[in-house]
Amino acid sequence: MNKRLLPLYVVAAYAFLHVPLLILAVFSFNASKFTVWEGFSLHWYAALAQDRDLIDAAANSLIIAVVATALATVCGTLAAYALWKRASGWISGSLYLSLVTPEIVTGVSLLAFFQWTFRFLNLRLGMHTVILAHVGFSLAYVVVVVLARLRTFDPALEEAAMDLGATEFTAFRAVTVPYLAPAVAAAAMLAFTVSIDDYVITSLVAGVDSQTLPMVIYALARRGVSPMLNAVSTIIVAGLGALVLLSERLRAK
Amino acid sequence: MRRLRRLFLAPAAALLAVTLAAPLVIVCLYSLMTRGAYGGVERPFTLENYTRFWDPLYGAILLRSSWIAAVATLLCLALAFPLALFIARSGQKKNLYLSLVILPFWTSFLIRTYAWMFLLRDTGLINTLLQSMGLIHEPLPLLYNNGAVILGLVYGFLPFMVLPLYATLERMDPSLAEASSDLGARPLQTLWRVTLPLCAPGIRAGSILVFVPCLGTYLTSDLLGGSKTILIGNLVQNQFTTARDWPFGAAASLALMAVAMVLLLAARRQGEEML
Amino acid sequence: MKRRAFLMGAAGAAACSRRPRLNVYNWSDYIAPDTISNFEQESGIEVRYGTYESVPEMLAKVMGGNSGWDVVFPSAEYIQPMVEMGLLAPLRADRLPNLNALEASFRRPPWDPELRWSVPYMWGVTGIVYQTALNPAPLSWRDLWNGRLGGKITMLDDPPEVLGACLQMLGYSLNSSRPRELAQAQKEAIAQKSLVRAYLNAEARDQLVAGDVAAAQAWAVTAAQAIQAAPGKLAFAFPREGFARFADTMAILRESRRQEAAHSFLNYLLRPAVSAKIVIAVQTATANGAAHALLPPELRDNPVLYPSQETLARGEWFEPQSAASQRLRDRLWTEIKSA
Repeated sequence: MNKRLLPLYVVAAYAFLHVPLLILAVFSFNASKFTVWEGFSLHWYAALAQDRDLIDAAANSLIIAVVATALATVCGTLAAYALWKRASGWISGSLYLSLVTPEIVTGVSLLAFFQWTFRFLNLRLGMHTVILAHVGFSLAYVVVVVLARLRTFDPALEEAAMDLGATEFTAFRAVTVPYLAPAVAAAAMLAFTVSIDDYVITSLVAGVDSQTLPMVIYALARRGVSPMLNAVSTIIVAGLGALVLLSERLRAK
Repeated sequence: MRRLRRLFLAPAAALLAVTLAAPLVIVCLYSLMTRGAYGGVERPFTLENYTRFWDPLYGAILLRSSWIAAVATLLCLALAFPLALFIARSGQKKNLYLSLVILPFWTSFLIRTYAWMFLLRDTGLINTLLQSMGLIHEPLPLLYNNGAVILGLVYGFLPFMVLPLYATLERMDPSLAEASSDLGARPLQTLWRVTLPLCAPGIRAGSILVFVPCLGTYLTSDLLGGSKTILIGNLVQNQFTTARDWPFGAAASLALMAVAMVLLLAARRQGEEML
Repeated sequence: MKRRAFLMGAAGAAACSRRPRLNVYNWSDYIAPDTISNFEQESGIEVRYGTYESVPEMLAKVMGGNSGWDVVFPSAEYIQPMVEMGLLAPLRADRLPNLNALEASFRRPPWDPELRWSVPYMWGVTGIVYQTALNPAPLSWRDLWNGRLGGKITMLDDPPEVLGACLQMLGYSLNSSRPRELAQAQKEAIAQKSLVRAYLNAEARDQLVAGDVAAAQAWAVTAAQAIQAAPGKLAFAFPREGFARFADTMAILRESRRQEAAHSFLNYLLRPAVSAKIVIAVQTATANGAAHALLPPELRDNPVLYPSQETLARGEWFEPQSAASQRLRDRLWTEIKSA
């Protein structure tokens, strides 16, 4: 029973996940601004290409997400490994706290902290504060995912490597890291998702030059649903989707 | 051994100090201060912000938020588990399937929320379809209620449940399930007594990763709930914006975090800690 | 352009600032598409433009005194609090020759009679947008409590507006801080809640146009946009019991080190032709009398945006609330939402 039901369910689940996007994509080609279909048109994509704000914001979002993901994944993986070797109450406690703090609180507290420190340093809010904030809140997610995987890893494998002459770091690099690879990849994906999607924290710590896509989208959408938003999301999904498919192809080779 | 470990912990520790510890100290300080005449914080230190909580109004808000978050988490679990199981067993195409789950979430959650509003509205796609098929005559009120909020939450947090579940399921030895059915268990029995307990860490991790943000949500409930209810996330957000009462907002945030911490600690098991 | 600057590093950016800069922080959707670029071309100043969704959001950033913004657009009732918090820089009238383009009633506004801190930008009112098919039409706040509109009413998601409407409906002042009056207003709001479809701000526009909503408490700018999008189907009413008036102003932050450039930007926005273009793009009412004269007739004589003087007399400006009153109102709002 499971054998046949499961694939059916999975198809339904993926449909549930993707149908709203499909709808968005379809209506991004709608000539009319409203939800009544009025004919095929590329008008909104053209408008998108001319909207400097939107494009800049999208680029900002991508840069922030890539940098923050890279930093968070590296720091988080290393931290997870260290925690696995020997627990640290302080770090674990802090990571718990980080997970438990609502976004609005993280955002406001970071804003207050930055504003206070910037009285002594000659700095402003900007891309750097946003990236710092993003790394901060992604860290716990990375650690959770990688640590979960580490708990299923047999430490004897590392010991064996060291018995055979490897240094601690080499053992880590050659034995543990490959085992962790799926979890690290999953963690990176999670961190990227969380970063690119964030509105609350980013809007609070963004500065003069760091408007991100969610911020522009929120502003646009509050004035009424504009098909330009549909066009943006279609492009993002199509672009990233193509990237994913491409990397799958390359990996399979 | 110790040096490597300290080295590995250092960047994370530094990050946490700057992005978590220091800001939280400030929040604690704020929660003990008084609201300035027009906003901001001022000197007289007071416990007043905490005593305000004894009001049953805030207890009701917390209860409502917890209920919605719990329902959303359970639904997420129910939906994510079969999906994660499938992906973990799908062999070579694992990453592809995983990416397909994550892909929708690379669009802004605001856009996805608006897509749902577009679907659920009185003149939205679902109602129009149902009406044109003659199944209903009046549009169904699908939007601006708790159900819509829960739907939005589930849709928004599904990958946070799928990923940890996948991470534990992926390394689970399939021969255990085989052995169970060899011994005569029906598929559902195997699921309940073998598979589920084995991926308990993943379930716990995923539940926490979903429940806690759901507890503190405010945008989803505003957009899909029509701003008609006040959840604890709305309360906090209100204090930092419209009400400009940062001290009370800080106290409310700490209260919320305390509740979540209690839950986290209660869900811990020896040797199976998430962190 | 902005990304390259970031990638080159902060040091590089600090060193090679060829053009003078100005950082402007405004409400979203409150300027014409070419206003900034025209100003940049004319003055040679590079403008970095950011937007916010609410004044408290802007205030949170600006309160620290080192936000990096130069020009902000606070609502009128925030000017006095911001002045008391020491956030605004005094304006120099000699650098703002275009001030006399302002309409007479805005040259000595109640919140800043000498225009020492702010320059009125755009203004509006809050009223009722409704489907013309409704009979009888909802022309007073009380009509929004009518059961026949159940499930098809929206109110603004804004405590001063909702409490204000309730207060005015009961015959009190919009800005009342008397606990007894506020408690009565709250009772009314809770009584209405079962009829309210949702608390929406500008999002109500699309729903009005689509017909999902029969009557909405809305700002005049939203109303004008909705009416234009669905000609003949929607109308706007200035409630009989009274309505709220609000204005957005331009101000310069005290922290700004570019006071010259900021003043010339403000002066530029005061230019009648520029202001007129903004109004045409945004569909709101301008405080600039000379610009008003330049508008096309359908905007200039638009009764929604520019009502007659007798109508306007029923309106009341928002005023800043004391801390105690703010706290009471916030608590009442929490109770309303929790009901």
